[in-house]
Amino acid sequence: MSAKFKPETTHKADATALLDDRGYSGLLIRGQNPALLFEKAVRDRITESYYWKEQCFGLNAATLCDRAAELTAIGGTYGGVGKPTPFLCLAFKLLQLVPQREVILEYLNFHGEDGGEDGDADAAGNGESGAVQNPQALGKRGEFKYLRALAAFYIRLAWEPVDIYTTLEPLLADFRKLRRRTREGFALTYVDQFVDDLLTKDRICATSLWKLPSRANLEDLEMLEPRVSPLGDEVEELDREDEMEEESDGVVEERDGSSERSRNGSVRRYSDSGSEND
Amino acid sequence: MPPKKMTANPLRGPIYRAGKPLPGQSDSSDSSDEPEEEEETPAPKPAPPKAASFRPKPKPATPAPAATSPQDLAEGFETASEDESGSDKEDGSGSGSDDESSSEEDEESSEEEVAPRKLMRPVFVKKNARVTSATPAKSYEEIEAEAEARRKATADAMLQEQLELAAAEKANRKKHWDEEDNIDEAEFVDDADAATPESAAAELAAWKLRELRRVKRERAAIEEAEAERAEVERRRNLSAAEREAEDREFLKKQEDEKGERGTMSYMQKYFHKGAFFQDDLKANGVDRRDLMGAKFEDATNREILPEYMQMRDMTKLGRKSRTKYRDMKSEDTGRWGDFEKRGPGKDHGVDERFRSDGHEGRGQAVTGANSGPLGERKRPGQGEDRDGKRARFDDR
Repeated sequence: MSAKFKPETTHKADATALLDDRGYSGLLIRGQNPALLFEKAVRDRITESYYWKEQCFGLNAATLCDRAAELTAIGGTYGGVGKPTPFLCLAFKLLQLVPQREVILEYLNFHGEDGGEDGDADAAGNGESGAVQNPQALGKRGEFKYLRALAAFYIRLAWEPVDIYTTLEPLLADFRKLRRRTREGFALTYVDQFVDDLLTKDRICATSLWKLPSRANLEDLEMLEPRVSPLGDEVEELDREDEMEEESDGVVEERDGSSERSRNGSVRRYSDSGSEND
Repeated sequence: MPPKKMTANPLRGPIYRAGKPLPGQSDSSDSSDEPEEEEETPAPKPAPPKAASFRPKPKPATPAPAATSPQDLAEGFETASEDESGSDKEDGSGSGSDDESSSEEDEESSEEEVAPRKLMRPVFVKKNARVTSATPAKSYEEIEAEAEARRKATADAMLQEQLELAAAEKANRKKHWDEEDNIDEAEFVDDADAATPESAAAELAAWKLRELRRVKRERAAIEEAEAERAEVERRRNLSAAEREAEDREFLKKQEDEKGERGTMSYMQKYFHKGAFFQDDLKANGVDRRDLMGAKFEDATNREILPEYMQMRDMTKLGRKSRTKYRDMKSEDTGRWGDFEKRGPGKDHGVDERFRSDGHEGRGQAVTGANSGPLGERKRPGQGEDRDGKRARFDDR
């Protein structure tokens, strides 16, 4: 019998069903085999690595957390041969498992004391918009930042654009440090920097990310609200400072002045009235 | 007399063997010990290994004589100095079964003490005030329990240590899928979160800077898009003439900018990397170079060279892999867009008798068997005139 929906409990412990594209009958991401989100070369490297063979055999969503808790770096492949990082192997495992939405949100906000992200209806305490006064509270979500980064990577690969933007943008307030493994050695990066790269770059961690419609497009299509930065108040202050500087210098460029005034803390949508001068 | 040896080596001194008397002084030390141990065990033997709880506490440097010696001397009599030291000795010595070992040690220690000092003067203590070893401050069971607890504590501590060591080793051992990697290198990049408030504030400041940059970038992108749309609108609203005027201005400006750059000389070597590398060059800030107009010090004018030597890359001169290709213009064999000047025709220099037939009014396609003169075509409805071409004989 051909089941369109294959329950998670019956996936194979290793990835033979996933990698054999012809007979694949599991869950699809955007209509295709999830493994195809990684390139063939990268897939081969992952499947032939020791970490995959030993540690990623027979993982399920729960035991994957244990592995992810031991992560010490993010990254794609490194070295001359192209050895995959454990991060990449775990991401591939997530693609095989295709966990449910709630599970991924748990990974993202593991041990978070605040209410959940957009998936949960009741947002407790200090939600995203009002927490400018204490950004540190937003940043400190959970103890396992590498698990968070892994979940963010998976979200970028697997979910729909609107969900991606709404789920990953709160992570732009998390400024914890991450260690990134480059081809030769290590580099320092931050969680918000990593998430920003996920949202804007084409290629990260040895994967070509599928093309995400830009935020402007989605705003024009009215699927998203313009983004309010957690720095909302401070941006306004800076704008006011800039304005005051301009006026005091005596050089008032009307176009810039009006544009500054019209964008207080939030990004204004393009209006169809032609020019933007008031 | 030492045994005579066969070798002629010099005899060394007496050899010390552990636990055995030196050959020279066989019994001299033992004989001095004898008178001290009158009542107790005849020979000094090592104390049998006992459980730790029964070991008496290590004696202080000034040891007190054994508890049994006052008993032996006389009941109720204690030496004055024994009084203080006796009380703390009693904690260590328990029942009478360990008196032997303690007494032995006491004998030996008292022996050492007696030699330099004289005997204590016995002082009579009343019966009520006596503190003998038969009634220790703590009972036997309590002492045993305490000792048990101590043993357990040490055992637990050791076990804890072992566990911690094992856990630390497990955490630090190299995972063998990481064998050839430099884990130490990872330590250079510190991903620990801020510990002190100062570093947390620094991290927060850095994050604010990044966030501001992101906001600025978004705004710049939106402004660009809007500017472009505004520009398009504006041009749409201009008339055609104004648009052309603007275009001409723009082109002139472009040419002016370009005029500062030189033109390539004849067969100049081509240093442009190609369109694919423009982004990289832009990142390095070198995309506005004047490559074509660059002149080198030893630039040769290739036009004056013989054709064989006219090449872009002079290193290939005289080599096998050189291509004789120079440029497209010289390799071109076609006549592109050249219809006006047609030189002398095919049969121009040929005598009149041998020229081709139809080249005056006819196209060149009519040659050979088809070049004979043709009459009019026969139409279908006009076939009645059968006799029109027949020869006529009027007197038939």
